[in-house]
Amino acid sequence: MSSFSRSAQQWATFARSWFLIDARMQPPGKIASVCSVRLQGKHKPIYHALSECGDHVVVINSRHIAFSGNKWEQKVYSSHTGYPGGFKQVTAAQLHHKDPKAIVKLAVYGMLPKNLQRRSMMQRLHIFPEDELPDDIRANLTEELPQPREIPRKLSEYTQEEIDAFPRLWTPPTDYKMK
Amino acid sequence: MVFLSLSCWIRNRGPDRYWKVQEVLKHARHFRGRKNRCYSLAVRAVRRAFVYATKARKVKKRNIRTLWITRISAGSREHGMKYPALMNHLTKSSVQLNRRVLSDLAITEPRSFLSLAKLARARQQEGFRAALGDGKEPAGVLSRVMLQ
Amino acid sequence: MTSRGTPSRFLKSVLQNGVGRYVCQLKRVSIIFSKNAQSSLGIRDFIEEGVVDYAKKNPGTVVYVSPQPRRIPKIVAEYLNGNVREEIVTNKTSAQISELLTKLSNQSGLDIIRIRKPQHTDSPSIQGQWHPFVNRPPSIGLIRPLKD
Repeated sequence: MSSFSRSAQQWATFARSWFLIDARMQPPGKIASVCSVRLQGKHKPIYHALSECGDHVVVINSRHIAFSGNKWEQKVYSSHTGYPGGFKQVTAAQLHHKDPKAIVKLAVYGMLPKNLQRRSMMQRLHIFPEDELPDDIRANLTEELPQPREIPRKLSEYTQEEIDAFPRLWTPPTDYKMK
Repeated sequence: MVFLSLSCWIRNRGPDRYWKVQEVLKHARHFRGRKNRCYSLAVRAVRRAFVYATKARKVKKRNIRTLWITRISAGSREHGMKYPALMNHLTKSSVQLNRRVLSDLAITEPRSFLSLAKLARARQQEGFRAALGDGKEPAGVLSRVMLQ
Repeated sequence: MTSRGTPSRFLKSVLQNGVGRYVCQLKRVSIIFSKNAQSSLGIRDFIEEGVVDYAKKNPGTVVYVSPQPRRIPKIVAEYLNGNVREEIVTNKTSAQISELLTKLSNQSGLDIIRIRKPQHTDSPSIQGQWHPFVNRPPSIGLIRPLKD
């Protein structure tokens, strides 16, 4: 038999977890796909669309997300205010400058199913631009999710020995100027 | 009128049209709005409802199966496997549990499901080893195995 | 027939009847027939042959035999939960009526309606139902030292 009584079993099964994910140097789409699964509760074997079994997700460092390619300049976020001439278009860089949470939020919002539960799922998503968390949220956290992309090391983070040991195709001349 | 026998009484219970209407309204009593009492609205709604019910009998099976698959994939990802890999290697280990039983096991008997996942994982590793062989490649083929 | 428009229930028995001891749920049977009508021929045969045996075999059931001047003979069965079922036995033979009575006495008296699931259990889980911490390492405390 289970170690719980029946009502405690029910509480245990439908307990909400709080996941933490660090968005530093991560593509927003990958962050959003991880979040949307957790928010819907599709990572639990008890999943049912009507049982509201989604978890809370806390995204930190949303200011430091990384788009690949030239998406910062080329990706356009459009909206319409409803008034004539109210069609607004901003690039990702402009939007990120205005609100560092917005890009992650919009990415998650787009990945959730388009139904009545979407708003309540979004309420369970907590985004923070830096890695400082309020104490009440910090106390709830149960697990940290692995980052979907490995953060590439910068050249300045390599030691001189590692740089020297790197195989070179040609030796630049002494008067060669790096671009 | 006087009826001495039951059969004549039944015969006199009203016009046929009344009973025809009742036959339709019987299925519409739980509908919302005037559909549950006005015949001309109800007859159309009942016809629609029966068409939906007929179609839903097939759709239900499909929906339930997708729910099972969602649950199994959630359970298998907890043990570090993906759903297609789990099902494939369970089949290869001749575990003939269907998706309904597997999803029930994932919910109610998590330890049995864990051992099934371990079985599938072991079968997967065995398959990888068999595919890679003994680390030697046929002549003229360069692959990652040789580079390691 | 739509599934929402028809009544339904889950599979259950009356107070786990039959687990350990069995209590016959049929409490009272009234056999109503005519002494001279043609349609009551079979039930008159049954009363001559089988009704005493039936009453002896089912000591928990009261059997009333009531001749009434009517053409349609019937069997009225009353159950422990208060449900009453009437069965018309016009032109039935003695064997058919005996079979019908056996069926009535074996029934639980619950409404005969659509049953939603063909199986039911009071304790669905032996190993304990899944909960979020089943497959998670039991580490407690801060996730990681976040800088304040």
